Amino acid sequence: MSTTFDPPAEAAAAAPVDWDRASRDNVPGQPDIWLFVLFETLVFAGYFGFYLYNRPRHPGAYLAAQQELHLPLGIVETLTLLTSSLLIARSVEAARSQQWNTALRNAYATASCGVLFLTLKVIEWISEARAGNTPISNEFFSYYYFLTGLHLLHLLIGFAFLGVLVHRLRGPAARSREVIETCGVYWHTVDYLWVLIFALLYVVR
Amino acid sequence: MRNAIDRRLLSAWLVLCALTLLYLVIDHSTADAGETRRALITVAAVVVSLAKVRIIMREFMDVRHAARWLRGLTDGVVALVAVALIGSYAAGAAWG
Amino acid sequence: MSSAQIAVERIELPADSPARRPLAKLAWHWRNNPKRELWLAWYAIVAFYQMFFIVFFLITRAQPPGKPWWNSTQVVQWFDQMHNGLLWGFAVIFLLGGMSAFSTALIAYSMRRMSVSPAFAYSYLIMYSLAAVPGMLLLCVALTAGALRPDRDPELIHAIFDLAFVSFVGTMGVFLIGSVIWMVAILLDKNRVFPKWFAYLNLCNALTEVVIAPACIFKRGVFSWNGQISWWLDMVVFGIYTGAFIGQLRTMILREDVGTGPLPDAAPRPAADAAVPAGAAA
Repeated sequence: MSTTFDPPAEAAAAAPVDWDRASRDNVPGQPDIWLFVLFETLVFAGYFGFYLYNRPRHPGAYLAAQQELHLPLGIVETLTLLTSSLLIARSVEAARSQQWNTALRNAYATASCGVLFLTLKVIEWISEARAGNTPISNEFFSYYYFLTGLHLLHLLIGFAFLGVLVHRLRGPAARSREVIETCGVYWHTVDYLWVLIFALLYVVR
Repeated sequence: MRNAIDRRLLSAWLVLCALTLLYLVIDHSTADAGETRRALITVAAVVVSLAKVRIIMREFMDVRHAARWLRGLTDGVVALVAVALIGSYAAGAAWG
Repeated sequence: MSSAQIAVERIELPADSPARRPLAKLAWHWRNNPKRELWLAWYAIVAFYQMFFIVFFLITRAQPPGKPWWNSTQVVQWFDQMHNGLLWGFAVIFLLGGMSAFSTALIAYSMRRMSVSPAFAYSYLIMYSLAAVPGMLLLCVALTAGALRPDRDPELIHAIFDLAFVSFVGTMGVFLIGSVIWMVAILLDKNRVFPKWFAYLNLCNALTEVVIAPACIFKRGVFSWNGQISWWLDMVVFGIYTGAFIGQLRTMILREDVGTGPLPDAAPRPAADAAVPAGAAA
């Protein structure tokens, strides 16, 4: 059974791509994306730090505003993104075993979960705005809209990565293990950033 | 072998969902909860969420099989974020 | 053999070579170095950013920005305190501010060297050339005008103050799009002009610039134009990004072969700055 696929043009080596678990330098995806992932995580930690520092200084106001959020909705959103992460992890895994159709199906399912999260978020924003909670209502809600808005932007960029993933899975010439894993790594980052945002906005007292 | 990997991914997902649902239990706090209770909830929420982040990194992002420097680096970032978040909250509570 | 495999060669100089004398070396490079213009541009960028820092942060104290919640009296006080600093500092910018163009030019050049369409370079060039006007010069003009006649109506001075800082902060959208253009160019590039991590750093910078948008809404707190998130954290990221791109431009110039194919890798550094033994052949 032939397992050689030509790597993309930029790789000078003519050696066949190794689709086994052991990756070229044992880093999932391009090492470059990890710089981005960890840098963004630290930047977000900065935002979270300011939020957590300011919160106990006005506990009453923050708590009162926080009551306006719906925890169950937040939980559904979190579960949606966690599921999307599972699906893309399965997609990458299927790609490693060259099960292209399975990989594609999982990639599309991931995108659907992403769209579901997006929809839920927009609905949540609209309902909060209708209830009178806008970014300028109080400090808590300015953080809320800021963090969820910035996260949503990252999610939209995630769709671009998913697009690249699907493109790479479909064309036989374009299949690159590194790029496929890179797309996965980015999507998981969007997921775990949400996990943190959810805990800080909806649960922290 | 792929089935074993899929099962592992599914188990990780189940653990993550369970940890998420755990927050429903924490939600029994009302606005009149004392400062200590609120601090405890906050620290617990931060720690649980960072545990979830680490699980996502290890299992979904495949850091478990990655080079040692990446494992160390991701763990280091998780620890750093934990210290930064809990430290910020403590600082705000102390000097606010 | 693809040109990606050829590394730039380093030449070891004999101990008695005239090229070991700094001035003679400089003169030689001025006359003969094919990349002389690129190096001039690069050193101009370094000089510009140092001047920018000294003028904006130390002389005029326009950065960190004045507080958006001040009333007219406080603003007039600030202009009073900074009067000489503002006038002298911005005079320097008016004289030398044109040097900011070198950074745009070199970055556009880097995109022309890539395998992507020249449209990337041209869009970036146009965007950043236009951005310098509201992005930097408008603040300089406004604050200079404010400092010029201290006996103006306080409300007018306050309006000038707002104009200066809103324009400085509000033009981030242009820099954001510019960063995205550069990022996409690097990701699509097949000539390996820049490493892919640098493309992602552009994305980080772009995302941090998004964060400045709320500054138009909030006059207090972490999202105001001098806020901890909108300004301080953003400056940290911008500082890292600026350091990185100046370093990357330098590496690019070192590797440049003025061709159209993939850029050669940088030559490995010699193990130690070893003195050539006496009597070694030239």
